[in-house]
Amino acid sequence: MPGVDHCLQEAMTIPGAVGASIVDYTTGFPVATTGAAPNSDHEAAAAGTAEVVQAATSRSLFVSAIPHDLLEDLIITTAGGYHLLRLVPTEFDSRLVLYVWLDRVRGNLAVARRKMQRLADELVARQ
Amino acid sequence: MSPTRTAAAPGDLLLQASDTRQTGALVVAGNPGGAVYLVEGRVMYAESPAAPGVGELLTSSGRLAGRTWQQALDIGGTTARVGRLLVEQGHLTQGELELCVLGSTYDAAYFVLSDRSAPAEFRAGATHWLGQVVHIDAAAVDHEVGRRIQLLDDIFPNPRIDVAPVIPVSRPPRERITVTAPQWELLVQADGQRTPADLAQLLGRAGYAIIQELRRMAAAGLIELPEERVPDTPEFVRLPHPRGGSAPLDRPTAGRSSAAPVSPPVVFVPDPTPAPAPIPELGVPEIHIPEPHLPEPRIPEPHIPEQNAGPNRPRLARRKPGAKLPREFADEGPQVHQGTDEVLLKRIRTALRALR
Repeated sequence: MPGVDHCLQEAMTIPGAVGASIVDYTTGFPVATTGAAPNSDHEAAAAGTAEVVQAATSRSLFVSAIPHDLLEDLIITTAGGYHLLRLVPTEFDSRLVLYVWLDRVRGNLAVARRKMQRLADELVARQ
Repeated sequence: MSPTRTAAAPGDLLLQASDTRQTGALVVAGNPGGAVYLVEGRVMYAESPAAPGVGELLTSSGRLAGRTWQQALDIGGTTARVGRLLVEQGHLTQGELELCVLGSTYDAAYFVLSDRSAPAEFRAGATHWLGQVVHIDAAAVDHEVGRRIQLLDDIFPNPRIDVAPVIPVSRPPRERITVTAPQWELLVQADGQRTPADLAQLLGRAGYAIIQELRRMAAAGLIELPEERVPDTPEFVRLPHPRGGSAPLDRPTAGRSSAAPVSPPVVFVPDPTPAPAPIPELGVPEIHIPEPHLPEPRIPEPHIPEQNAGPNRPRLARRKPGAKLPREFADEGPQVHQGTDEVLLKRIRTALRALR
């Protein structure tokens, strides 16, 4: 049975993965973390992640362009890395996002995105 | 072992028990109070009346049928393995269970530990029927509670909002307001009596997420600020606010009849600009209003399409700007309220008397 820790372990097997965490984006709290975090600070990274997700869901209008549209991924690229955020769609009220930090040279965006989609769905049994 | 009672803050007591690797429950009294459960010094669960527990979250969202939950509770409650049972029987994945327990534990811990003056005691040996699903470092929990308190104060520093009944302002402070989906849910359900804890239970949302939204709404001026309660005064019960398209119920009827003598008999004259009657909407039932648009409800622009799908779907589909109302609604005219007829007849009578 894939639990939270197993999900993060799997996330670390994505080519180029440097660190991963599951973040509650209402509070900016890292529910679970593994590996490295930007500036070696998972908490600060989680708080920043939460702000980015909040901005995309409530302050910009991308998600409201089509009725019943939902945010899936946020992908931030920097010169040195990729930062992928995948929303974890739980049926009960929890607002969680899976965050994976990838090394720019070793990471592959498309592969990582597909893998994260599968991990997030497996975690809450959405096939 | 006998319960240990100290004057220390709940958070300090928790760390103390954690350092000595104790198993038991830290029970905190007060409003809202609650309990944090430890197994060998690590937090396994927390519960508080202000935060919906795992069962409420799973059932109110429809993730589990109430029956399924009750069954697991009946079978696994006494042996403290309700959580494990639900996973073994295939109702939940391990991931879902862990995430749900983690979320509700941190949520409840905020309410249990945030009031540092609340009386607390540690009951050694107490366990929770959910069983051990997760284990969290007690220091991390305590630290997170502190961070959440700070987070709320950064939004709007008024802790009274967290416990007082939620009253939406009847008139928004600005011409255009934007609310998020969770804020909309709160505004729809807040009837002037429900407290944030009631709303959290009702909506099946984390208690902390609710008060976070409430503080944001208070900062935006969308809910009334709770009054500072003077000690030794009874707390008055507030009646629910009238909602929807109905007229305010608290309009005094006496005002209508006493105002009647001065108003000219505008009722039968199809004059679009009648003399200023004190209560204009009473004069118009007979005159057909030039533009029969019903008053539009407050619309938070972009969220409407998603919200309309729910069971609270309004009677009318949303019209395009300038579109005509369907016949059956357009012909209804303004809503006539009970008692209007009598008041109208009185006004006609006094007007006729004035003509004599």
